[in-house]
Order: sequence, then structure tokens, then C-alpha cells
Amino acid sequence: MVAHLTRRGLIGTAGALPFAGGALAQQREIKIGVIYDYTGPFAGGGSLAAAIGTKHAIEMINERGGVEGHRINAIFADAQSRTEVAINEATRLMEQERVDLLMGVFSSAHCVPLAQRVNAQRRFMWANVCVASSVFKDRNLEYVFRAQVHSDQFGEASCQFIADVSQERLRKRPADVRVAIIYEDGPYGAGVAAGNEAKARQLGMRIVLKEGYAATAPDLSSLVTKLRRERPDVILHTGYNPDITLFLRQSRELGLRWSALIGHGAGYGQIDRLKQTFGNDADYIFNVDPVAAQLLNPASLRPGLGDITAEMVRRYRAETNATEVPPHTSMGFNQTWIFLTDVLPRAIRNHGGFTPDALRQAALATDIPEGGTIQGYGVRFFPAGTPMAGQNERSSPVVMQYVGGETKIVWPAAIKTAEPVIPLPAGHAYAAR
Amino acid sequence: MFDTFLLESIINGILLGGVLALLALGLNLVFGVIDVVWICYAELVMIGMYTIWWLFVFYGLPLPVAIGAGIAVVALLGVLLHILVIQPVLGTAPINQLLVTGGVLFFLQAAATLVFGIEFRNLGVRMPVVEFGDMFFSFARILAFATALVGVLLLWLFLTRSYLGTAIRAISQDREIMPLMGVDPRRIYLITSAIGGGMAGVAASLLVLQYDVHPAIGLSFGPITFMVCVMGGLGNMLGGFVAAFVFAQFISVGGYFFQIEWGYVIAFAFFIAMMFIRPKGLFSR
Repeated sequence: MVAHLTRRGLIGTAGALPFAGGALAQQREIKIGVIYDYTGPFAGGGSLAAAIGTKHAIEMINERGGVEGHRINAIFADAQSRTEVAINEATRLMEQERVDLLMGVFSSAHCVPLAQRVNAQRRFMWANVCVASSVFKDRNLEYVFRAQVHSDQFGEASCQFIADVSQERLRKRPADVRVAIIYEDGPYGAGVAAGNEAKARQLGMRIVLKEGYAATAPDLSSLVTKLRRERPDVILHTGYNPDITLFLRQSRELGLRWSALIGHGAGYGQIDRLKQTFGNDADYIFNVDPVAAQLLNPASLRPGLGDITAEMVRRYRAETNATEVPPHTSMGFNQTWIFLTDVLPRAIRNHGGFTPDALRQAALATDIPEGGTIQGYGVRFFPAGTPMAGQNERSSPVVMQYVGGETKIVWPAAIKTAEPVIPLPAGHAYAAR
Repeated sequence: MFDTFLLESIINGILLGGVLALLALGLNLVFGVIDVVWICYAELVMIGMYTIWWLFVFYGLPLPVAIGAGIAVVALLGVLLHILVIQPVLGTAPINQLLVTGGVLFFLQAAATLVFGIEFRNLGVRMPVVEFGDMFFSFARILAFATALVGVLLLWLFLTRSYLGTAIRAISQDREIMPLMGVDPRRIYLITSAIGGGMAGVAASLLVLQYDVHPAIGLSFGPITFMVCVMGGLGNMLGGFVAAFVFAQFISVGGYFFQIEWGYVIAFAFFIAMMFIRPKGLFSR
């Protein structure tokens, strides 16, 4: 457990309350339980970056006086990259710490059962990073909301991108492009892969291999051998870490080549780490993710959001010494910022406080247009009774590419900052010979 | 028609078997002699990997020196594990020994997280690609395979041709009688723990060339290593060695013909079936 306030501190604060007198008004607080993976493999796969983004958003809000006179008291909990720990921590936060709501959650494997459980208890949960569509699909959740992009959109974006550029860049019609879909077999990987498959079939692409594997598998050589046998032009990969680095390493050793490798977030969102591990071999990898906010032109966003992004980047770099700020930081920050600056104030002002029902009503009334968040997309939630109730219907991912250690937006065309490099240049370690 | 991809999968399975055999070697030795299962064995490997990474990347020591130091550190850890954790519970119920080494597993994971953080670390060493015909093989795996073969040979020579090795074998066969014949079991246990730890260090030196090191890497190898040892007969080094290759072939060739997950399913199903047919392992003593 990573607690922002110690138990002794809380007890001390409670003891001092009777004597606080006139200062009581300033000490009203909203307790938010924030769950991320601070240890275990998910931590380095993006969870820690997202957690830092969330923490900085909360700090900035408190520095500005909190929300409608309420200080945000965040209690951070470590899910340790294990589903049962995530569930136990959620239970502890709700029943012992008595938080007003839950927030965060990196892994879809944690998010699916957590969302069900929290909703069944009629408590409120704001999911920040997990993407699996299955968190919401056909579950009719009433108290769980997610402004984040969902996995079906990840899967569709990569296929649509390939379809858009295949004729010009690969000299092939989309129907002639050989696509392989590989994924870690949890809800996240399986969800994105399902989106990949549906969209690829819709576009008439040739799926030469679709295969899942356990993220902790110690060996992927037989998968690599099969990929070599099937000779895909494009590999659509969804994984965490360390499976992504194992795949890239074994692919190089076992002679796998491709025209394009498209990752879908998680480990592929960590360009600093990929660069550190693979050097120039990490160049030209594509990544589908909600955009890292600092890559967007601030002029395309609501006035003031550019400054907030700049402050997010400044704080992240100051804390981590990183050169590149990963998309996960934006996800953690953006979702928290949306909740604290839009949903929560409305709940307090218009619905009488921050009970689960007040928060639910405020969330359902959310109407942020495109350009109204630091990641560009707008926010409006699918209402109850619809198949994706609770999911943001205005979210959208982008396709990015790593070139020379920097991240470029290459799709959609309206906001791209560079032309995609596809196929891989001759001489690249993974370029087809 | 001849399927070169299948042949490649079979050979890659053999090379993977080398990695698993190397991991199983030290664990089997320790169990065979001391009769204690080091549940934290894969975490000792993890510490060895971190040591090598730290000395090579952080301190800039030459790789062979870093590897030598890594092996020495894990050998020393093996000795400390025995003195501080195993020795006090020797002679108590086996569940106690399992629990204390299980505790060490979590301790080492947490300690590595605190000391090295949650980052995925690697040496940044690019191993050459071995291409033969239309087939490709991992040089690091070939190295691991060769080391496993040499390791088994050296261990066998040590155990059969040296006085100390003979004493170790004698203790493993009858730990009640041998002290009466002048063999000091505590000394033998310490030496065995050092060798077992050293073998974990050797495995670490080869795994660090193939995998990123992180505090949870033991999760990828620990369970499979135990299954290999149990399938070969806990404490039976030759059994563990052969079982590693059987297991690896199921994973590799099974994964080639079916989904990669099925390779593991078949391997585990075979393991369960063997536990019914030969509960003490394929090569039980």
C-alpha cells in the first residue's frame, strides 16, 4: 500500500478537528481511492507513468484551492500487478478508508472485475487507463464511467490506418495486405485483437495469423517461427512488458521481418524504454494510443489547456528525469483532470454533493466538445440502457510512430505531425530483405 | 514436403530445453542433498541477473568479470540462505521449509523493487544472429544449451570423481548414517548450497543475455523450473535434465502446430498425467 496520509496522520487530523473552529470550512475534503500498479510488471509497462500523471493533476487542483472548497485527499493503493490485490485494495479503500469514490486502474484484467464489484455495491468508480471494451460492453454499469479510449477503437484505428496508406506506401490494395494479429491473452489484449479482427475483415484484409499468448510466457520462439512462415506485411501486436521486449528480441534473433509493426499501447507506449533496450531498432515502430497531450497543437484545444499540458510535462520530467513523456502520463492526468474540473464540481453544485448518485448524474450530464480536453477528444457518456453505458462515446486514439527517438503523430490525417515511414527503410534490423 | 519451420521449432525446443535444464540443475542438487525445496530459486536467479546488470552497466566492468561476480554473489546468497533460513528449520515439518523459502521469495522480490525500482533493465548487448539455411537460432540460447551440457558434465565429474562429491552423494543417500562415519553434514550442506547458488548464478548469466531483468522475472521461470524438477524426479539431476528437454519440446512443437498457449496446455497436461502414472517423477530414485 502506498498511502498519501499515514494512519497516524489521519488519526491526528481527526483528533484536532473539534478544536479547528472557524478553519473547518477550509478542511472539507473528498477522499479518492487511487489504484494503480506501483510494483510488478505493469508498473514499468505504463502504470507508474499514469499514476504520476494522476498524482500531479490532484496536486495542481489542490494548489488551486481544491474543488468547490473541498481539498482532494487521495489515498494511493498499489495493485502490485495482481488482480486479487487490486480487488482487495479496492475493498479496503471503500470499507476501511471509506473513500468517496475509486479512480485509476491500469490493467483491464483488474478493471473488469473491479467495475462489476464497485457497481454492484452502488459505489462510484472513474476508470482512468484500462481500455478493454469488455469492462462496459453489455454490462449496463450505472456507477462506473470511463472517458478513456476503449479497445475496439484501438483495434479499428490500426487497421484503418493501414487501409488508408497501403496503396500509396505498400503498393497493395487493403485486400492484399497480409495481417497478423498477436496479443497477450488477458481482457486488454483479447479486446484489442477482437477489434483488429473485426475491422480487418470489414476492410477485406487477409488475416494470416491470429494468436494469443500469456504475458509471462518465457518463450515466444514458436510464435515467431509461425509468423515467419506466414510472411505478414503488417503485425498488429498488443502486449504489456516484458512480453513485448521478448517478442522484439526473439524476432530479431529468429529472422522475422515486416513492413510495419503496430503496437497498441501499454509496453509500446514506453518509447524511452524501447529505445534504451533496442536502440535504433525501436525506430519506426507504430503505436496506437490516446495521444500524448504534448504532441498536440495547443491552438487546436480550448484556451488554457496548452498551459496545463506544459505544466503536466514539466512536473513529470522534474520527477522522473525522463526525456519523453509517455502517453500514459497524459491518460492518468487527463482523466483525473476531466473528473476534477468538470464532473465533480457539477455534482457538488447541481446535485447536492459527491454521493455516488450525485456523481453519476453529473457524469451523465457531461458534454465536453472535441478539443475540450488536453488529449483532444471530447467527453459524453453512453447513457444507461445502451450496450456501452458508461463509456465515453467521443474518445478517439491516434497512430504514432517513433522516429529518431521522437514520437510523431501519423494518423488521423487531420492532426498528423509527420508522414508515416512504411515500409521499413532498407537496412533496418526488421526490414524485409 | 520437408518443413524447415518444423525443424526450426524442434531445434529451438532443444535450445529452450537447455535453458530449463540449466535452471533445474542447481535446484535438483539442493533438494537431492539437503532435502529442501528452494521455492525462491528463480528469485536467486533474478538477484544474479541484477548483479551482472549493475556491475556491467552501472559500474562499467567487463562482462566476464561482471558474470563471475554475479555467480559468486548468488553462490554466497545460497550459503546465507542455508545458514539464516534453512538451517533453523531443518528437521521440522517440510511445510515449514516451503513456507520460509516462500517468504524469502517475496522478500527478494520486494527488496529488488526497492533497490532497483520497477524498470525493465537489460545489458544492451546485441547477440549475433545464427542463420543456417532458412533457419534462424538464438546465439544466447545456443550458449545456454552448451553451458547446460558442460554444467551437467562438470557436476557429474565432481560428484563421481572427487572426495567431496562422493561425500555429497553419500549424504544424499543416507543423512543419518554418514555423520557416524565422520562426514560433517553441516559442511556438506553449506558446500551444496554454494554450488546450488552458483548454478543459479550461471543460469542468471545466460538469462540476462536473453531477457530483461525486473523484480517479477521469477514468475516467468519459477513454476516451470519446479515442474521440470518434479517431472524428472525431485533431486534427480539426470531426470531433471531430460525432463527439461521433454517439457521444452511440448512447448515448442506444440506451439508450432497449435496456438502457442496450447503448447503449454499440452506440456502441463503431460505433467499431470505423469504425476498420476509416476508420482515420483519420470526418473525417480
